[in-house]
Amino acid sequence: MTFQREMKAHFIKKIIFLSLVAVIIPVTIACQKEKEEAREETGITTLHFVTWKPNQPGAWEEILRIFHEENPDIKVVREIGPHSSSAFHDLLTQKLKNKSQDVDVFLMDVIWPPEFAAAGWAMPLDDRFPHTEQETFLKSTIMANTHDGSIYGIPFFIDSGVFYYRKDLLEKYHFSPPKTWEQMARQISKIVPGETKLGIEIYGFSGQFKQYEGLVCDMMEYILSNNGLILDPETGKSALSEKPAIEAVRFVRDRIIGSSAPIGVLTYQEPESLDLFIQGKTVFHRNWPYAWEIANNPEHSRIVGKVGITKLPYFRGGKSVSTLGGWQVGISNYSNKKGAAWKFARFLTSPRIQKLYSIKTGKAPARKELYNDPEILQNNPHFAEMKDVFLAAYPRPRSPLYPAISNILQRYFSKAISDSDSDIEKEAKEASEEIDKILSLTE
Amino acid sequence: MRLSVIAREKIFAVSLIIPSILFVTVFAFYPLLYSFYLSLHRIILGLPGLGQPFIWFENYRELFADRIALHAMINTFLFVFLSTFFEILFGLCIALVINQHFRGRGVVRAAVLVPWAIPTVVSSQMWRFIFHDKYGLVNYAIYGSQVSHYKAWLADPVFAFSAIVVADVWKTSSFAGLLILAGLQMIPDELYEAARIDGASAWQQFKKITLPLIRPALLIALLFRTMDAFRVFDLVFVMTQGGPADATNVLQFYGYKKIFAEGLMGYGSTISVLVFVITLFISLAYIRVLGTRLFEERI
Amino acid sequence: MRKIFFYVIVVIIVFLSLLPFLWFVDTSLKSTVEVTSIPPVLVPSGSLHFYQSGIEQYELLHYVKNSIIVAGMTTLVTIIISIFAGYALARLRMRFKGLMLGGLLIVSMFPQISIAGPVWRILDAFGWLNSYQGLILPYVTLTLPLGVWIVASFFKELPRELEDAARIDGCGHLQTLFKIIFPLAAPGIFTAAILVFIYAWNEFFFALLIMTQKQFQTLPVGIALFQGQYTLPWGEIAAASTIATVPLVLLVFLFQKRIVRGLSAGAIKG
Repeated sequence: MTFQREMKAHFIKKIIFLSLVAVIIPVTIACQKEKEEAREETGITTLHFVTWKPNQPGAWEEILRIFHEENPDIKVVREIGPHSSSAFHDLLTQKLKNKSQDVDVFLMDVIWPPEFAAAGWAMPLDDRFPHTEQETFLKSTIMANTHDGSIYGIPFFIDSGVFYYRKDLLEKYHFSPPKTWEQMARQISKIVPGETKLGIEIYGFSGQFKQYEGLVCDMMEYILSNNGLILDPETGKSALSEKPAIEAVRFVRDRIIGSSAPIGVLTYQEPESLDLFIQGKTVFHRNWPYAWEIANNPEHSRIVGKVGITKLPYFRGGKSVSTLGGWQVGISNYSNKKGAAWKFARFLTSPRIQKLYSIKTGKAPARKELYNDPEILQNNPHFAEMKDVFLAAYPRPRSPLYPAISNILQRYFSKAISDSDSDIEKEAKEASEEIDKILSLTE
Repeated sequence: MRLSVIAREKIFAVSLIIPSILFVTVFAFYPLLYSFYLSLHRIILGLPGLGQPFIWFENYRELFADRIALHAMINTFLFVFLSTFFEILFGLCIALVINQHFRGRGVVRAAVLVPWAIPTVVSSQMWRFIFHDKYGLVNYAIYGSQVSHYKAWLADPVFAFSAIVVADVWKTSSFAGLLILAGLQMIPDELYEAARIDGASAWQQFKKITLPLIRPALLIALLFRTMDAFRVFDLVFVMTQGGPADATNVLQFYGYKKIFAEGLMGYGSTISVLVFVITLFISLAYIRVLGTRLFEERI
Repeated sequence: MRKIFFYVIVVIIVFLSLLPFLWFVDTSLKSTVEVTSIPPVLVPSGSLHFYQSGIEQYELLHYVKNSIIVAGMTTLVTIIISIFAGYALARLRMRFKGLMLGGLLIVSMFPQISIAGPVWRILDAFGWLNSYQGLILPYVTLTLPLGVWIVASFFKELPRELEDAARIDGCGHLQTLFKIIFPLAAPGIFTAAILVFIYAWNEFFFALLIMTQKQFQTLPVGIALFQGQYTLPWGEIAAASTIATVPLVLLVFLFQKRIVRGLSAGAIKG
């Protein structure tokens, strides 16, 4: 008995010893490695660039390679953030609140600059980014980066909602691309049963309807294309309870979710909804311009060459509206390498890099002159036709408290469209009151 | 002389306990009071220009009118109730099984403990993947290769909420089971033998002997599980981020969003205080039921 | 018949307990195509691709290192403090024992959110956000109740005579603690250490708030934030999860008896 116990004690000691060894060895190795790195890098500035994981990693690698060749004294390390804009926001702002030293340069969604400016996280760039320079960018993107008369970010690329459709299927059923949402629903009610009869499994439409920032973008397009508004610019108050806005939301609930689009879209962000489209499982699709490249890339897509792109539909009596998206390059106020950071930010947003990025990824550049660039147009022929859409893209409300407003909107939209019995008027009224309360804080 | 020995012992005892007190005071009780202090101010991290105006109980007034908070509270209570109920139920089953003597008992016990040891973040990712609308095991198990029937479980408010309950029950039933097991092991075998001699059926034995005797263990398991379920965060953060339609928004997640994502430090702290007060009341209620046993006999 | 029924239940319990974990292990061994095939492929091709890309691209081992440092240091500090406090509470005469135990019990029930904001502010004031101590200190606080409770209950079970004998031999309190009590209670202390370690290894909420710099992030944060903009790397998530979980599964299989005992330590006495 005692012998056994001794054996056991011995065994435990051994385990403890082994686990200690297991702990110490990797730690010491890691520490040593870090030291070596530090030694190597004397004289080299390491810049931390917070970004999301790109879907065309090749383009980013090339951009960084060029930068490193031209600036051998700066090394850019990428910190990859999460997938959705909201989660990326929460992570990045938490980093900035914590004054993390691994943030020098970061990407900002188009809706963030006022918040980042008011909180003092983003560095004002007025001396380095003068008005004359600002004028070479699309006006809406400069507006988005301006807060209280100062500019806090340099536009990198812009996004705006566009409408994709299956050319082959529309031809087969003798339809032209739908002009209105109602038309789209009608076409779906012909095409889907027709295809299903042939044993092909297909849905009508996919978009982004999960409770996250993308939902606000998508829903805004419905509301505005019905002559509605999110915020009334004159009164500065929520217009969600106005009739056009309510009608548009009701249309999405009754005619899109679960009928035109599979109910699963309620969990979809961009990748999932695009996946359905490029697998050939939907006729219509709402996404940003980048989807064009993927949908025509034989490595990912089953519908290469069958994709059409056009303006988003609208409601009868309205006009097509696209939400303005896109990303800006900002510099952390807490960075102690602002000089190098500026160099990198400027490089990223320079005409040649925007051009390269646009060609490689299909994203729409933020600089005006690039829309006349023959090489870009050759790679993205739809840019010529879609230029107007990009120029007219509509911004979301601008406020330092936008995250709070967006959370209310996301909650409202998600609630209103997920439940076919939802009381839209009541939900809209309550959401309006909450938004007005938030807006009153900033006055 | 004797007195001084006791005095010395007391001084020694206090010095031994000082580090613990220090930690608990600085990082638990002080923050708690600080939360209350913050909740009486308007503090918006994104608007430092606003300062920190003292606004009395304004935040509390807002909180009581905040239907999202109310919704999150209802969700939380529902979550706590459902998950603890099933955890205790399954925990009891697990405990009854493990309490038997059979070959391979050690392996079974270890297997049951695996879910408990897995980081919640990991188990959340697992369940998110299992409920995935395309690659998920649940769809595959129910619909096989009929892909068109596949359901987006996490898209449906009711299913998404259930999914979180399932993930939590899976993860923590074994913990409840172990606490109950400890109670079962205290029951002397003689009692069962006597009952058997008296001709009591297995069910009667369970009802008349097992259940009354493990009552304290059940209550303790219930207490621990309730408190822990109240803190649910990781599951929601990873699996649903509070959606769809806010169906999985729970208090701790809502508070996190308010304080950190939206930067409403003052208002968010009101939620912190509320959550604490609720947990305090629940634990006091349990302790009343359990009697002072918890304090005196546990050590 | 009853026996068969019993074993069926046992098999079901074991199966359900392990299934999600095994499914993730299975997923981690698939190829990229297999992971996203619809309907799911059950048998993986056994590719280690995701482990490789997890380690190389996502720097998995870096998170593992941080988790080991944080969980290891937390365990060490908590256990040392718990031994002191546990001994005082279990063996020595002192005032307000009930109050202290009650206080500890309450701390163990704190929802993290009720202290998160202030803890963050305190750490910010000290400049300890994004540092190991910034996470270890709150962890020590939150694991103390568990540690003290278990250690004290093990101390309580040791026969008093030994100490009395030691004292007669002229040992002081501290000597008694280290020479007599500590070695005897070593298994109990070890149990407490395992549980504290598991807690610290798994904690997510504070880690998410405090460790925003990749250099310091722990595994749960890494796994939760394991995402790309347009793709969800399920294979890498599964591989990372497997790596995060295997040590714990090993701990559980090696020490299941101790863990069971520790979890129920002193919970029920009569």
